[in-house]
Amino acid sequence: MPLGEFMHSDALSMGVELELQLVNLSDFDLTAASPDLLHLLAKRPFPGNVTPEITQSMIEICTDVQTRYTGVLGQLTEIRDTLVRAADILNIGICGGGTHPFQKWTDRKIFSKPRFAEVSALYGYLAKQFTIFGQHVHIGCTSGDDAMFLLHALNRYVPHFIALSASSPYVQGGDTLFNSARLNSVYAFPLSGRAPFLLSWDEFANSYFSKMEKTGVVKSMKDFYWDIRPKPEYGTIELRVCDTPLNVERAAALAAYLQVLCSYLLERREAAPEEDDYLVYNYNRFQACRFGFDGVTVHPKTYESSILREDILATLNRLKPHAETLDAQAALTHLSEVARTGNDAQYLRQQYQESGSPEGMVHSAIHMFRDRRRRTRWVAM
Amino acid sequence: MTEFSINISQMAWPCVLALAWLLGDILNRVLHLPRISVYALTGFVLVNLFPDYLSPLDNHSLVLLANIAFGLMLFEFAYRINLRWLSLNPWVAVTGLLEAGATFAAVYCVALWYGSTQLMSLSLAALAMSSSPAAVLRVINEQRSSGQVSERILHLTAINSVLAVFAFKLILVYGVMQAPGDLLKASAQSLQVMLVACASVLAGTVFGIVLPTILRWRGRQAQDSTLGFAFAVIVLVALTHATGLSPILATLSFGLVARHRRISLGRTQRNFGVLGELLAVVLFVFAASTLAFSQVLAGVMLGGLLLVMRLGSKIIVTTLLAPVSGISMRKGMLSGLGLAPVSVFLILNLEQPNKLGMAMTNEWYALVAMTLILEIAGPILTHLALFAAKETPEEMEQ
Repeated sequence: MPLGEFMHSDALSMGVELELQLVNLSDFDLTAASPDLLHLLAKRPFPGNVTPEITQSMIEICTDVQTRYTGVLGQLTEIRDTLVRAADILNIGICGGGTHPFQKWTDRKIFSKPRFAEVSALYGYLAKQFTIFGQHVHIGCTSGDDAMFLLHALNRYVPHFIALSASSPYVQGGDTLFNSARLNSVYAFPLSGRAPFLLSWDEFANSYFSKMEKTGVVKSMKDFYWDIRPKPEYGTIELRVCDTPLNVERAAALAAYLQVLCSYLLERREAAPEEDDYLVYNYNRFQACRFGFDGVTVHPKTYESSILREDILATLNRLKPHAETLDAQAALTHLSEVARTGNDAQYLRQQYQESGSPEGMVHSAIHMFRDRRRRTRWVAM
Repeated sequence: MTEFSINISQMAWPCVLALAWLLGDILNRVLHLPRISVYALTGFVLVNLFPDYLSPLDNHSLVLLANIAFGLMLFEFAYRINLRWLSLNPWVAVTGLLEAGATFAAVYCVALWYGSTQLMSLSLAALAMSSSPAAVLRVINEQRSSGQVSERILHLTAINSVLAVFAFKLILVYGVMQAPGDLLKASAQSLQVMLVACASVLAGTVFGIVLPTILRWRGRQAQDSTLGFAFAVIVLVALTHATGLSPILATLSFGLVARHRRISLGRTQRNFGVLGELLAVVLFVFAASTLAFSQVLAGVMLGGLLLVMRLGSKIIVTTLLAPVSGISMRKGMLSGLGLAPVSVFLILNLEQPNKLGMAMTNEWYALVAMTLILEIAGPILTHLALFAAKETPEEMEQ
């Protein structure tokens, strides 16, 4: 089936999707609770949308289309409160974090849905290993060409989002030494990584996608696991490199950062994106995943190296006028603070040190998700 | 010249335990029967076939091992009970209270109708309220199930067991008070029961606070917690035996306090690993071996009737209250079905039945019959409930 028309969205409108962990409160392992939770949530109005994810230990929530940071934050907070209330009724914990620190992928159960059955049949054990949790941010574009431009112009900023959202330091019970180990799991999929360098929507849809479809490898855009991909049916581009942060405030701030950044890039003051930008893409991406804010980033045009923290702070500073226009100053202030003090991966490692166990990390993550202003207390939930 | 001889009676119990384990493994693979049902059946059949070689009550080592096994299971069971949930979703607590109350009323009425005395009927009703913590935990762990039916079976079993113990104690005191001129004796007995209960809870609480502190102080709680908790339970069981306290109340308190006031967080290995697997064989073989075939036969009619009333009342209440407590009626019904296992092992440890003059009566036989049926059929019903609720792992459902 040919790729449909690129639907037109309001420029810089945005939407957020968060994949969340469902945790057993006795042993803090993941639990197959999504059928029960979705059954309960279906009985009452939900502020946004909630859907199953590939394994029964995950759910995905998404906001409506928003135009401002406060709108995203407000709706995510409402969603969070609704989820926490439902989880309390069912005696389960809900939390963010890019990976669960010690779950065994062999224990996971695929959610009963045709799409997930297909993915499981095709990818085998990779489907269960895909029990990782990300934040996806959609930014509305007025045309397919704008979408392709933004998709590639963002390549140099992808490490920013990785480092700011990183919250997956542990996998299968061990410290990976990465800030974001989640993206390594995505890399196992054959259609992951970066999108092909095409700046025209017509060329992308009628040449590249049609050829790929003829090969039988893909049937829809869902089969691509790219870091950023166009979403023609929504009229958006979708950034997919972020780990799910530990709280919704961080998630809203990241969405606002992307919105402000796209607003800046659409002015086209920076040099136009080109294929050679991707020479340093994988290296920069690795540095952000591995070292977080301390990683080294190489500028794709000048080849100058800098520390990612400094690059992020400089960029946030540069975007202030755009943030004022879009009412997103609070979001950028929040992220500046994160870049100075540390991301969620560092927080989780600190929790491991304090509690002495990976269960302690999950325990704090659950408290953090409920409301970060509440003090983490070592009591049962 | 050295004389070679074999003392068969010394070999008997180890061989029975090994055979029970082997049969449990085979029938679990072939027929998907819960292992503990097979252990119970093996213990019951062999002890009744060879009573001269396999007298369980004379074997003190076996009794101690069974008590340790029971202690470990009660600790782990209590560790999985979240008291805060009962306040966040009070309908779970209401369901537990109502289904236990309905069971009590149904069994009491049927026993009276069958011709039992009021005291006997009350006692049977109290015992029928309970569900077996050891059996449900064992089945849930063996099936590696997770979901609302699993959670609710655990929490409703906790409510049922506490109510059953509480009601049984009240009936004991009521029974003594009924005897003319025994008011003073009854008061003294009540006081002693209260003191023993308080001291047992206190002992468990102290262990629940001290052990996590030690583990945290050592800084290796993630690696050592299972072994640490296992040793603590063994010491606690030995302590309660030596001092005449209740190992049941002590280990339950230990588990609850360890969960709710934990300073360190460590993943306690389910079933306590190989140690738990081994001791589970001992426990379930031993529990069923205390039941005599003749008693089962004598009480099978009344026992069967009580069993139907017990399970029926539980299922009706859990089904009707399911929607208000946040799950479907189907899952509510399966939660009630999963409460099938009953074990008088818990009650027998608390009080000898002849205190009520129960031994050698029709009612006692009925209780024995009901216990045996549910020792074997109960775990199978729990297994079926978890399977039907799709809370078992994928490979099992396929």
